[in-house]
Amino acid sequence: MRWLLMWLLMTAQPVHAEFNPQSVVMNCLICHDSEKNSSSGEVPDLAGLTSAELHQALLDFKYDRRFATLMPRIAKGYSDAEIQAVADWLSQ
Amino acid sequence: MDRRHFLKFSAAGGALLTGCAPFQVKDTKAHVVVIGGGFGGATAAKTLRLLDANLKITLIEPKTQYVTCPGSNWLFAGITNLTQLSVDYRTLQVQYDIDLVTQSVATIERNIRQIRLTNGDSIGYDRLILSPGITFKWDAIAGYSAEIAAIFPHAWQAGLQTRILAQQLQAMPQGGVVLIVAPPDPYRCPPGPYERASMMACWIKQHNPRAKILILDSKRSFSKQRLFEAGWRANYGYGTANSLIEWHSLADNSINELHKASKTVISEFGDRFTGDVLNIIPAQMAANLAMHAGLTNPHGWCDINPLTSQSVEDDCIHVIGDAAQFTPMPKSAFAANSQAKACAMAVFNLIHQQPMSEPHWINTCYSLIAPEQGISVVGVYRLDDEKRRIIAVEGAGGVSHAFEEQISRSEAGYARSVYQNLIKNSFG
Ligand SMILES: Cc1cc2nc3c(=O)[nH]c(=O)nc-3n(C[C@H](O)[C@H](O)[C@H](O)COP(=O)(O)OP(=O)(O)OC[C@H]3O[C@@H](n4cnc5c(N)ncnc54)[C@H](O)[C@@H]3O)c2cc1C
Ligand code: HEC
Repeated sequence: MRWLLMWLLMTAQPVHAEFNPQSVVMNCLICHDSEKNSSSGEVPDLAGLTSAELHQALLDFKYDRRFATLMPRIAKGYSDAEIQAVADWLSQ
Repeated sequence: MDRRHFLKFSAAGGALLTGCAPFQVKDTKAHVVVIGGGFGGATAAKTLRLLDANLKITLIEPKTQYVTCPGSNWLFAGITNLTQLSVDYRTLQVQYDIDLVTQSVATIERNIRQIRLTNGDSIGYDRLILSPGITFKWDAIAGYSAEIAAIFPHAWQAGLQTRILAQQLQAMPQGGVVLIVAPPDPYRCPPGPYERASMMACWIKQHNPRAKILILDSKRSFSKQRLFEAGWRANYGYGTANSLIEWHSLADNSINELHKASKTVISEFGDRFTGDVLNIIPAQMAANLAMHAGLTNPHGWCDINPLTSQSVEDDCIHVIGDAAQFTPMPKSAFAANSQAKACAMAVFNLIHQQPMSEPHWINTCYSLIAPEQGISVVGVYRLDDEKRRIIAVEGAGGVSHAFEEQISRSEAGYARSVYQNLIKNSFG
């Protein structure tokens, strides 16, 4: 599934540098600590979420279906296919 | 075609970049040297190690303790101190196997890929990552200098000056005036002067309520202006006669002179402003080392190829952080961290002769208006279709929805939490 997706991403846009979800995810980790359980009021920790949950949350942020202070402004920066790849990468 | 143009040309086509082949034979470890242990340099060293367990990585930084500029404005409201803002390099050394050299770099001998330290030692490199931060254009304000900055602090490189400025604020006579001279673009941390004014206002509101903060700005507008002004109205009487903060735009009439004895700053057309505490933040450019190494453009910043962050002047040297020109990204610690990661990926791919992956960047800058009220600005960045320029993704990013009680309370909490994570993510 992931490879099919990568292939789709790469063939959809004629780019010479390939899309790599790791390049996006490294930025998410500036705010989302991967090792710590966050307490309330802190940036939530993503460790426990499945790929499907991450995917749903990010699409909800992107399409303004879920209220949030910050994430909608970030999620709007990526195509739906990129969001899928990011969710897959993060959940591994 | 000379080397510089070849680099630009080949990078634009997205082809593999060559021209900086390792000096060493193939099976010895490649050596990557990182200069500057700020947000850019620390993150680059750490990320490279996460990508490659075998590289030899050296980090050169003269200070053993680094005081973060992010969070340093909070000192003026009395909600943090220099100890809380300090980090060291122990985790990078021990946990990430990074060779730390506690020295200053005197020169970069580019022709032989060697660094000369101020103690006379030299260090060779296969690739160099430069994140040396900024220096100030001292000649922009007559009468101001590095020495005078000990008396009228810029506090734009956090540390002792931040504490001196806070002490001056606290010692100011009742009803005194603080002048903040805000710099022209581009400079590190675009919302910084306005967050500083907010945090100072928070302190004087409690301890010196007849005092005033005047921001003398060489710009016509500033970062998150609508939100700052809404926050100042809600907290500090902004717009009324008793406002604790006044913002004066002196566009085309910038402050260009300091009269030290009378604590007066003077503009091009001769307007004079006198204060009790003077916080003069001069115009900025890339740190001296970058200029001496011949890596800066006429404006004083380092032009890079955004695909790889290689200097347009030298394809063995990558420049990141405040010193580099990553327009339209602002100069921030968050951006420096993001640039360092994309750079580390590129360095890894170049060393292992693998195809480049597409770089992605994010910036977020939170500012506190009051200890429990925060605002933010976000940008999501990628390369344009030609892979030449960085663009802010349209429809993404932007500032907080509105200055509204519930949102700003949540964002104040996230500001603290993101600060903690940014430190941990950058320094280990
Ligand atoms: C008041 C204030 C508030 C800020 N708040 C925020 C914020 O909330 N969020 C945010 O994201 N950003 C913030 N910033 C911006 C942030 O501090 C900078 O953008 C960030 O530090 C840039 O990182 P850098 O690695 O480019 O440079 P620096 O962090 O300045 O690091 C450069 C390092 O290089 C070293 N160096 C320089 N020359 C040499 C040499 N010749 N040899 C060896 N080492 C050398 C220096 O000692 C220094 O440690 C703020 C800035 C200020 C002034
Ligand atoms: C500047 C800090 C920051 C960055 C960068 C960031 N996030 Fe977030 N994230 C937040 C905050 C704050 C929240 C809480 C929701 C809100 O108010 O926006 C959140 C919430 C989330 C949630 C919901 C978690 C839950 O438990 O419901 C997900 C999923 C998420 N982020 C994923 C990501 C991904 C993927 C990225 C990278 C593309 C990313 N975030 C980048 C700050 C950040």
